[in-house]
Amino acid sequence: MRTYLIDSENNELKIDLTRTIIHSSKLVEFEFSTVQNNEVMNTEKIYIKKLAGSYFSSVDSISWEKMARQHLPVKMLNIDRVFDVYYGYKPSGLNSSAEGELFTKMSGKITKINVKEGDVVVIGQTLLILEAMKMENEIKSSLDGVVKAVHVSEGDVLEENILMMEVE
Amino acid sequence: MSNQKKILIINRGEIATRIAKACRELGHVAVGVWTDNELNAKHLEFCHEWVHLQGSTNAETYLNIDNIFKVIKENEIDAVHPGYGFLSESCEFARKLSKENIIFIGPHVEAVRQMGDKAISKQIAKAADIPVIPGSASAIPTVAEAKKIAKEIGYPILLKAVAGGGGRGMRACKDEKEIEDQFEVVQRESSAAFGNGDLLVEKLIVNPRHIEVQILADKKGNTYHFFERECSIQRRHQKIIEEAPSPFIGNDEKLRQKICNTAVKLSQAVKYDSAGTVEFIMGEDRNFFFLEMNTRIQVEHPITEEITGIDLIVCMIQAALGEELGIPSQEWITRSGHAIECRICAEDPITMLPSPGKVTGFESQFPQGTRFDHYLYRDLEVTPDFDPMVGKLITKGLLRSIAIRKMTCALDGLLVEGLKTNIPLHKVIVRNKKFLAGNYSTAFIVDEKPQEQVNVEINYLDIYKKLACIEARRMGI
Repeated sequence: MRTYLIDSENNELKIDLTRTIIHSSKLVEFEFSTVQNNEVMNTEKIYIKKLAGSYFSSVDSISWEKMARQHLPVKMLNIDRVFDVYYGYKPSGLNSSAEGELFTKMSGKITKINVKEGDVVVIGQTLLILEAMKMENEIKSSLDGVVKAVHVSEGDVLEENILMMEVE
Repeated sequence: MSNQKKILIINRGEIATRIAKACRELGHVAVGVWTDNELNAKHLEFCHEWVHLQGSTNAETYLNIDNIFKVIKENEIDAVHPGYGFLSESCEFARKLSKENIIFIGPHVEAVRQMGDKAISKQIAKAADIPVIPGSASAIPTVAEAKKIAKEIGYPILLKAVAGGGGRGMRACKDEKEIEDQFEVVQRESSAAFGNGDLLVEKLIVNPRHIEVQILADKKGNTYHFFERECSIQRRHQKIIEEAPSPFIGNDEKLRQKICNTAVKLSQAVKYDSAGTVEFIMGEDRNFFFLEMNTRIQVEHPITEEITGIDLIVCMIQAALGEELGIPSQEWITRSGHAIECRICAEDPITMLPSPGKVTGFESQFPQGTRFDHYLYRDLEVTPDFDPMVGKLITKGLLRSIAIRKMTCALDGLLVEGLKTNIPLHKVIVRNKKFLAGNYSTAFIVDEKPQEQVNVEINYLDIYKKLACIEARRMGI
C-alpha cells in the first residue's frame, strides 16, 4: 500500500509498504521503500512488537526502541517539517487547488470576513483576515470574480489546509 | 479541616497543574478554569472544581479582571494563585483582590507596584546600596554629554533609546570616536522606530550572564534565599535552558554569598512576603548589577526545588495564608547537586518561531533523576493563542556533568509527534562544547547557532517506524 506525505511546501514523499509478515500476534515484520522519480529507494525492514500496551520498533528484531502510540495521524513530523499523511490515495485538488480556492496555509483563527456569497471581488482585495501566531494575515483574492461560497465564519479556529472560501 | 481554603488558579498549562497539586497536598480546594477555546483543558486534571471562564481571547478570559471577579464571587473563593504571565504581576488585580479581602498568592500590592516599575525598582535598589548598571539617569541631549558620562563610567558603553526594548534601538561604542559616529544614527533610528529619539548612556556588560536569585519570604518578616539560577541560554530574550547552581559562579562561594545576600537585601527593602526572583546581570569580571525583580513564581522554579528540596509553590501558598514556612534559619537551607531545565516548546527547531498544531503521539522514557512538568497528551491542540511552551524537562545529578548526561538521555526518550518542537535543538545544545564547559553568555544562541547543526534531512527509517506502528495498530496487533 502506498502512503503519501506532503508538506506545506508541496514536497511529496511516496512510501510503499511492500511486504507484511505476521510472525505472531505480538510481532509483525514490514518492508518499506520510497519511490522517487519512478525509482525505488531506501528499502528497509521494520519489526514491530507490542509489549505491555506500547509499541516497540526494531530493524533487526534484536534491539528494540519504544515508539509513541498514534492513532492514524494525519500529520507526520520530521524535525522541522510536518507532513500531511494520506493513506492509499493521493488527495485530488488539495495541493493543486484551483486559483479561486482559498485554503489555510497554517492553523489560525478567522478574525474578520469582509465579503459574503455573491459579492463581486477584484484581484488583491482582502477577503478575510486569519490570525495566526499573533499576527493578522490578510487573505487576498487572486482573481477578479464572484464569491461562490464562504465555508467559515468569524471566530472559527482552523487547522492547516482547510478550504475557507471559493471565488470564481 | 477548619483552615481549608478555596483557591482559584487563574492560569493554564503546566503551571496550573503544578499549583493544583500543591493545593491538594495542603488540603485546600483547587478551583481551575477553562475557556471556550480549551475544551480539553488537561490542566484541570488535579483541580477539584472546574469553572468555565467565558470567552475565547485572553483579553476576555485570563486577563479579564471583571470576569474573574464574577467567578470569585460565584464560587466563594478565598485565595487566588495567578501562576506566571497573565495577571501575575498586575498591580490592579492584586489591589482589587486586597480591597475585596481575597488573598492574593503573591506579594503585597506595594511590592508588585514598586518592582513592576523599572525606574522605581532601580531607585529602591540604589537606595539600598545595590549595584545597578552605571549610566545616565535621564536622557542625554548631546554628544559632548554622552562622552562625559562615558568617561565617568568607562568604555565600552551602550547608546540606548529611552523607548527601546527587546534589543532594538541600541548600539555599543568602545571609544569617543564611536559615540561621535553613532549618536545621531541611533537617535534617528529611535525616532523612526519608537517615535522618541531620546538616548541614554549605559555601561556595556561584555559577555553578560543572566543570574537570578530565588527568594522566599513570609508575612512575619523572614526572608530567605534559595541560591541562584543561571539562565543565559536565551532566544529573543526568552530563556530556554536554565540551570542551578550557576556554572559561571561555580565554586566561588564568596561571590555566591554576595549575590544571594544582595537579593535578600533588596527583598527586605520592599518588605517582600512571598516567592520572588531578583535578576542580575553579571559581567566577565564577576561584577553584577541588579536588573529587575519578578514578583511571581517563575517558570524555572523547579531547578531550585530540585537542588534545595523545597516546594516553592507550597511555601508560596503558606506564606500568603500567613502560615509558618517551617524554615528555622537561612543556614538550614542547603543545596546539593545540579539541576538543569529545558523548556519544551511547540516551535520550529530551526527558526525558533511558534508552530501550533496537534499532538498525535506522546511517549516518555526517562532516566532516574528526571522530572517533567507538562500538560502534554495525545490529541492536545496547541493553539496560537497561548505561549508555545508545553512542558519543562528537568534533570538532576550530583554533578553538572551527570545532570547533562541525564538530560541528553531524557531528551532522547521524550517523543512528541504530530507537531514541531524544539527538542531537536535542545539535543544539539546539550552536546555543545561551550555548554558542556559551562562557559556561555546570553549571546550563546547568536554566537554558537546551534539551530544550524540540527540535522533536518528526511529520516526515512524513522518515518518507516512510525508508519509501521500505525499499520500494526490498524492490523490489531
